Amino acid sequence: MQKKQGVAAGVVKIFMWIYSLATFAILLYLVYNSMRPRNDFLSNTFGKPESLGLQSYKRLIVEDHFFRYFLNSVTILAVSLVLLILISSITAYGIARFDFPLKRLVRVFFLIGMMFPVQLSVVPLFLLMNNVKLVDNPLSVILISSAGISLPVFMLTNFFEKLPKEIYESAIMDGAGEWTTFFRIMFPIASPVVMSVCITTSVGIWNQFFLPLIFLKSDSYKTVPLLVTKYTGNLLRNVDMSMAVSVLSTIPILILFIIFSNRIIEGVTEGAVKG
Amino acid sequence: MKRFFRKRPYLMFLLPGIIVYSVFVVYPILSAGYISFFQWNGYGPKEFVGLQNYKELFTNSNMMAQLGNALKNCLTIFFLSVIIMMPIQIIMAYTIHTKARGSSFFQVAVFSPQFISTPVIVFIFTLLFDGSFGIVNKILRETGFENLARPWLGIPKYGIYVVWIMMTWAGMGVGMVYFIGAMKMISNEVIESAYVDGAGFWRRLWYIVLPQIKGTVFNLILTSYIISMTVFDFNYILGGSGGGISGSVDTLALMFYRTAFGENSPLGGKVSVNAMGMGTTIACVLFLMVFVVALFQIILMFRTRKED
Repeated sequence: MQKKQGVAAGVVKIFMWIYSLATFAILLYLVYNSMRPRNDFLSNTFGKPESLGLQSYKRLIVEDHFFRYFLNSVTILAVSLVLLILISSITAYGIARFDFPLKRLVRVFFLIGMMFPVQLSVVPLFLLMNNVKLVDNPLSVILISSAGISLPVFMLTNFFEKLPKEIYESAIMDGAGEWTTFFRIMFPIASPVVMSVCITTSVGIWNQFFLPLIFLKSDSYKTVPLLVTKYTGNLLRNVDMSMAVSVLSTIPILILFIIFSNRIIEGVTEGAVKG
Repeated sequence: MKRFFRKRPYLMFLLPGIIVYSVFVVYPILSAGYISFFQWNGYGPKEFVGLQNYKELFTNSNMMAQLGNALKNCLTIFFLSVIIMMPIQIIMAYTIHTKARGSSFFQVAVFSPQFISTPVIVFIFTLLFDGSFGIVNKILRETGFENLARPWLGIPKYGIYVVWIMMTWAGMGVGMVYFIGAMKMISNEVIESAYVDGAGFWRRLWYIVLPQIKGTVFNLILTSYIISMTVFDFNYILGGSGGGISGSVDTLALMFYRTAFGENSPLGGKVSVNAMGMGTTIACVLFLMVFVVALFQIILMFRTRKED
């Protein structure tokens, strides 16, 4: 439905072209400069580059073990996400499917978490983790991340509630137990909502800075965002490494996003409309 | 045991969630409230002091100054987001919604920064705004505005605006996508008839689209308030736990962090005798300010759910 939009719409469109192109230009600028030696960039920022090469990347990967940090981030994300999806879908199904006393209260109970900034609970969490000797252990970050089930439970409960009761009843009639019914039939039906939950929560977990900052102390457990701040903390010495680590931790994910952008954006919208 | 669960099948489904959620979400919140009534440094003996921590926070002039400054910074971010960022998001969303040429490209470009982690975003903006190697100064010099060039990141009074620009670039896409989602729900006939009436871009947006998405607008204003009040990462990375030069980028969460875990000065951290007590007190005050608004949002969520 292409229609004449008038001057205002034209101006807005020009602005959007500039904004969008600037975003990509900034990223390309980052990639380009990451291939320059440090002194060349600092003293001759906008001049013709002395040489272009992958020396910073080599140092980042070989000497500074980038992929160890990357693997730490991936492990935390993967385990947290599996736990979070499992726990929240089981809980949501339990709330939506069954009638039980205090049902309304249970629903509100699970929403409480959304009202609390994680900063509020970090002191008690730190003491708790310290007691069970999980400080400086990725498990602490995993457990806390996967307990953030408020919004997922809310979204999934809404979904399960709208499903017709017949689906459940016919499964039980066929002799399937409660768990079989859930894992074989109900969970697969919920996969669009689960996808949407995965997208919104995984971005948050992948990029989280606060929890790893507080709980992970040794280099062997640190995640990518923490490695980035190690370099950006001293730019004059490490500007080349900062650029390399920024590119390596950002560009692959952006490429993945661009490939799957339609599904991802749809997932986020879905979450917004349903949630 | 088995019979107990067979009679109450819902418990099997609810218990794992209730346990994990109680231990890692609910218990810490209650515990923070409890600790705020004590004088405590985190490992020594606890001394019950009642509301003394709260009294001190609100009467000690140094604490009050920090709190006021942090609150002012948080509210600045909130107002700028609502007054400037949100209208841009709505206009962008509407342009994409009308399937203007390049829409899917816009959508991807505006949403992309969402996937960049905060430290990288701060670093990218350093490359743009740095006094010596920043692009912005370079452009100003080349275009004859030499006198406007300055070390943007080093000037305290710009600090919070720089933080806001970073947050906006990073978060622009999410709100926009939410608005697009809301606009998809508007029936096409309403918009078509506006075209027939010859309403222009702004009139359609103001009189037809905006009233239809006011629920989403309201919801995102509340969300934006919560984000602004609890912002930490950007400010910590940019200004350290001290909140930048003379607290220029200080926020409530940063003030809490500094009080509870000590300031990382080059001379070594200093942790006061009441670090945890006062830290949790600040956290609880922060919570109360968020709670009022968040409660409102939850009521709203339940109401819209019933309308479907």
